[in-house]
Amino acid sequence: MWNELLFAFQSVATLANVLAMGAGILGGVVIGAIPGMTGTMAVTLALPFTFYMSPVTSILLLVALYKGSTYGGSISAILVKTPGTASAACTVLDGWPLAQQGKAGKALNMALVSSCIGDFLSNISLIFLAAPLALLALRVGPPEYFMLMAFALTMVASISGGSLLLGVVSACFGLLLATVGEDMYGSFRFAMTEDMKSGLSVAPVLIGLFALPELLRLIFFRDDGQGQAMKLGDNRLTLSEFRGSLKSIIRGSFIGVVLGAIPGIGPSSAAFFSYGEARRASPNRENFGKGELEGIAASESANNGCCGATMIPLLALGVPGDVITGVMLGAFMIQGLTPGPLLFQNNLNEVYMLFIGMMFSSVLLFGAGKITVRFFSHIARIPQVLLAPIVLMLCIYGIYSISSSMFDVTVLLIMGAVGFIMLLLDIPPAPFLIAFILGPMFEDNLRRALAISRGDPSIFFHSVISWIFAGLIVFFVGLTIRREWQKSRENRAARNA
Amino acid sequence: MANKAFARGLLIALFFGIVFFAVIPVYVQRPSFIPGFAPPPDMWPRTVSLLGLALGLLAMVSAVLGTRQARREASSSGPAGWFSQHRGGFGRLALALTAFAGFVILTPRLGFLASSMLLALACFVLAGASKRLVTILLLAVLLPLGLQFFFGHVTHTPFPMGSWGVMPTLP
Repeated sequence: MWNELLFAFQSVATLANVLAMGAGILGGVVIGAIPGMTGTMAVTLALPFTFYMSPVTSILLLVALYKGSTYGGSISAILVKTPGTASAACTVLDGWPLAQQGKAGKALNMALVSSCIGDFLSNISLIFLAAPLALLALRVGPPEYFMLMAFALTMVASISGGSLLLGVVSACFGLLLATVGEDMYGSFRFAMTEDMKSGLSVAPVLIGLFALPELLRLIFFRDDGQGQAMKLGDNRLTLSEFRGSLKSIIRGSFIGVVLGAIPGIGPSSAAFFSYGEARRASPNRENFGKGELEGIAASESANNGCCGATMIPLLALGVPGDVITGVMLGAFMIQGLTPGPLLFQNNLNEVYMLFIGMMFSSVLLFGAGKITVRFFSHIARIPQVLLAPIVLMLCIYGIYSISSSMFDVTVLLIMGAVGFIMLLLDIPPAPFLIAFILGPMFEDNLRRALAISRGDPSIFFHSVISWIFAGLIVFFVGLTIRREWQKSRENRAARNA
Repeated sequence: MANKAFARGLLIALFFGIVFFAVIPVYVQRPSFIPGFAPPPDMWPRTVSLLGLALGLLAMVSAVLGTRQARREASSSGPAGWFSQHRGGFGRLALALTAFAGFVILTPRLGFLASSMLLALACFVLAGASKRLVTILLLAVLLPLGLQFFFGHVTHTPFPMGSWGVMPTLP
């Protein structure tokens, strides 16, 4: 294996490959930073250019775009409270408060460092754990998916802010909205117009919920001095800050790798999952949501940790885990490579070259990130009264360009109003979003599992994986209840004193 | 009792109550035949809205009983005082929402470019940037123009030109 890897290293280190990866990373970062432009869009747009490249160069370009856009989403999340991609939604929770405190550069640097580490560890896992993780992914059926989703939903408690009750209410709104459109058996739900029959896309809901309330808040509370430019402040990330977040970075990368290897889960779920776990384990948990660097580290390491891992089911089984890897599957086929077990027999050299190229791209991501952090952090200098309407325009054009649909733009604007009402009522938006993303997977797998078992709920406890998740659910729900009880006891004691 | 926490609980309960009792029976199709073991399509929306309704009622009860959160919020001025304090804000908010609706309604007629220019200008003014008149005028015109040019050329997005034909097509 080591000889093959060494040979692959020599083959990858060509000018064409490095240029393709560099352009892919840089382009991906810029595209990811534009609200509404997604990694899928970047990869799809680049696909025609790959026809004229060698197989490895073309796949490396697409992977670099994917990685770059996943990181790029954090830039707008931190600077303008608008997650460029769904996977950066969690980064908003601490990134935006940090930017408001004049620590935008620090937040961007933490996002970059944790993204690169998550990405690197994901690539390592791709090389060494592809086979066992692919086997694990094969064992995950509807009941296991359901238990995993149920466990993931327990993280609502961690992202609820001050009130668990309001967090769960917010999640209920998200779960309800996720049911709009056609269900798995072809029945229409809440399809009040023709457009609603195909359901609501994640991008307009996500961007509307996070980005637009900021503009409406400025319009509503005009005189509170929030319209000024943010201070740039100290941009450097200190060693102690990095060390303080290292555990969350490693944990987040691990979560990203495991969830990324399971088809259909995706980096946004991994980011929320990692954030929830970091908050549960951190001594600074009270700071989460108010501008905690560890929160950014957890979210960014997990979403970039997914990048390499999503290639595991694609390469080992020929199963694309999400839309981006679906497009990449097409690119493989165009280049005459068929992903799956036979790829490792017939094209082992190309596979190793891909592995090494992906390691290279982690380093390039750091370089591209450093250049763009310097450039993008100047956005913070623009006064908010100008920046918020500019962001609105970016969002409207970005969302329209995804599917040329005025319905999506309407959803974006309506979700902005909904987000502002939630802001006025102190209902946190993050549980809404995670429930909206996980809701369809949760419901589909619940109904699919019950259909398989002919209505017998014991199907959820047939496998070891299900039992593990059931145990984790009981443990974390118990822990949350205990914490809430302790908190109310402390508050009562403080009031009496 | 008349505090923000109670009003919020009431709104939550009302929303989920309307969804459960009025919207789901009308807008969630239930096939005429469902095999005994397959959960029907309205099972999940009903479960979620019932849970939301229960949580809304719980929020109201905890507001009445004066929990920690409710007490903290009750110390601030009540809803009536808060509304009168932010009367100007509500006016601007209503104008902003009208601008959003106007954008959606006008786009098929005026075209995407002209409508977004108008929306951008309205938002700049409503956000309080009217003192920088030249800047906001330039931004309101050049930003949509640049974005339409970018997305039209990079992603080949066909933007609506509008039935009234007030804007020329971009090269």
